[in-house]
Amino acid sequence: MPGLRSSPPALLLLFLLAVPRGSRAGQALEPGSRSAAAAARVALQYRNCQAGSLGGLRALGQVRKATLKNIPESGHKYYLQFSTEDYRTGEDAGNCLATVLYPKKKSRPVVSIKCSHTKDQKEIQEEDNRFYQRIRHQSKPITANNIPDSYGNIEPALEPVWALAVAGSSSIMWEKSTETLGYFLAQVKSVRQWIRKDDFLEFDYTVLLHEMPTQEIISCHMRLTWLPGRPLKVKHFCASEGHGAEEGSGAESGSAAAPSAEKGASF
Amino acid sequence: MGFKRPQGAVGMQKQLSPLTMRLPVLLAALVAVATCTKTFVGHQVLRVIPQSDEELQKVQELQDLEHLQLDFWLAPRKLGLPVDIRVPFPSLQAVKAHLEATGVSYSIMIEDVQALLDEEQREMLRSSRQLPLDTTTFNYDAYHTIDEIYNFMDMLVAENPNLVSKLEIGRSTENRPLYVLKFSTGGTNRPAVWIDTGIHSREWVTQASGVWFARKIVQDHANNEGVASILETMDIFLEIVTNPDGYAYTHTTDRMWRKTRSRHSGAICVGVDPNRNWDAGFGDAGASAYSCSETYHGPYPNSEPEVKSIVDFVKSHGNIKAFVSIHSYSQLLLYPYGYTETPAPNAQELHEISAKAVAALSSLYGTQYEYGSIITTIYRASGSTVDWTYNQGIKYSFTFELRDTGRYGFLLPARQIVPTAEETWLALKVIMEHARDNIY
Repeated sequence: MPGLRSSPPALLLLFLLAVPRGSRAGQALEPGSRSAAAAARVALQYRNCQAGSLGGLRALGQVRKATLKNIPESGHKYYLQFSTEDYRTGEDAGNCLATVLYPKKKSRPVVSIKCSHTKDQKEIQEEDNRFYQRIRHQSKPITANNIPDSYGNIEPALEPVWALAVAGSSSIMWEKSTETLGYFLAQVKSVRQWIRKDDFLEFDYTVLLHEMPTQEIISCHMRLTWLPGRPLKVKHFCASEGHGAEEGSGAESGSAAAPSAEKGASF
Repeated sequence: MGFKRPQGAVGMQKQLSPLTMRLPVLLAALVAVATCTKTFVGHQVLRVIPQSDEELQKVQELQDLEHLQLDFWLAPRKLGLPVDIRVPFPSLQAVKAHLEATGVSYSIMIEDVQALLDEEQREMLRSSRQLPLDTTTFNYDAYHTIDEIYNFMDMLVAENPNLVSKLEIGRSTENRPLYVLKFSTGGTNRPAVWIDTGIHSREWVTQASGVWFARKIVQDHANNEGVASILETMDIFLEIVTNPDGYAYTHTTDRMWRKTRSRHSGAICVGVDPNRNWDAGFGDAGASAYSCSETYHGPYPNSEPEVKSIVDFVKSHGNIKAFVSIHSYSQLLLYPYGYTETPAPNAQELHEISAKAVAALSSLYGTQYEYGSIITTIYRASGSTVDWTYNQGIKYSFTFELRDTGRYGFLLPARQIVPTAEETWLALKVIMEHARDNIY
């Protein structure tokens, strides 16, 4: 059923304040709430990189149920039920149950997730093998820029390379996510393949991540290796400054190096 | 003027060459001629495949009959090879009679050469980057440059002078004109609806949708349906490229550019977020004081000419009843406030309108939207457009975040432009109709 969800002004906040912290049942959230959707997205980002599969990549469909619990000394924990779509085709890919704990201490979210399938494992494995073969059978090491291009196009020959970027950057996005900061893959800026003597595929990527709610574009460098059936190995390094740091006319009062320190940049 | 390059091999072929391979070259050549003096109305292209020496001879005879003005696209060579002949209309009967009398069978490859040329010319205009001749040949399924959009506006006005006019409400930092299209069937300072797209330059589906909206308004009016009834009592103002400097920058340099391109003294970085620069909670939590930030509010309210020009327009018009500012992406319909948790006085009404608008939007392609106040639905944001317009007394102030929800984000494939515009239009109509039916 299509979920036309609303966020009645102030009611949600009153509700959250009224319920005692640490209550065992947790507080039910509107399925349409931003924080529920953000947590569901983090859970899928975790799954997309852990699964090490390109054919099995999923995007968020709709959140069906969401509960928030405050775990004293630990952090905020979300309990979620949501539908998913195949990342490439948008077709229904099944439902997931997940928990996402945002730790009090600044570290990556702790995710547990279990999903049903619409595609069986064999089908997914075959897709992965097809992706793998398409990359292996290129006559030269792959290099490319701007995937998708400005107009949203992805060349069919580069689809496997893009899928690999989605899987790899999912690991970056999951690790960086907090209860107030979420990420989307905006674009693959560049990719370069390293040919190896063994069967593994190895790529260097520069990816642009869109950070919300700050609206910043974060540039990250990613080196990943992959073999179908094996988990993805990802090493990454993200630039600390947003992409807008360029010319200007003079020195500025206040800190120039810590955008997160100023008021209101994040929710 | 450029022509499409031939798609296949050109010239004499030893083996049977499909007509389609030869066609583009010959058509291109004919187009060149056609646009100058000649017309090919009624001309046909006949194909003969001589099966015997007599048949071959009969066809070769035709070559000597100069008065027929035949144009052999494939000349007779040997048995079994096709002979293609463009026959001018006046000679058709004679040629066909000649062939039939001697039992030479032929087929008609092209019924009317001129019709095909016209189609080819339209196709070239559609697919090439050269300026289209009218708003019918304009390609709504593609993203366009500023020049192409400004040209589109001029064409729309020229084709519909009694409905559409173009206003220049100011100039951008880099001195680009800020144009607003006015759709009006008359009256003096009628209550009006304002729609803007492209205030954040990287949100390309919005400018593209704005172009589609402009044409849709004209079409509805011509067919006396849709918003024709709204135009009986209200005017519509549409600013398609609200941030032209940023938009140009996304084409030339950085596709992800969001802000304006202003340089303020003391600022390290370029540009101000035009959706944090309005005088509503300016500088409060929900914007950045750091010029390198994507949500930099600027040195003071309305520091950006792109913003000031709209402020001045709204104030001097004085009769705007609904104001819609369009962004992407996230699939949300939002109403004030963003800078405070205090609900807007008519939040309940706005909530109900939103529910109806989102239902209408969803009815077309099933696209799912969330809705609510800015602060509860997306995030705290200060100095935003519709918070200011709402505080000016424009009760029906809304912000859209169009497709998608993150798969492509700002880089939405062009094939989604028209579906996005179509569904969004249904929601806009709900808002406009409500404003019309609840005049205040």
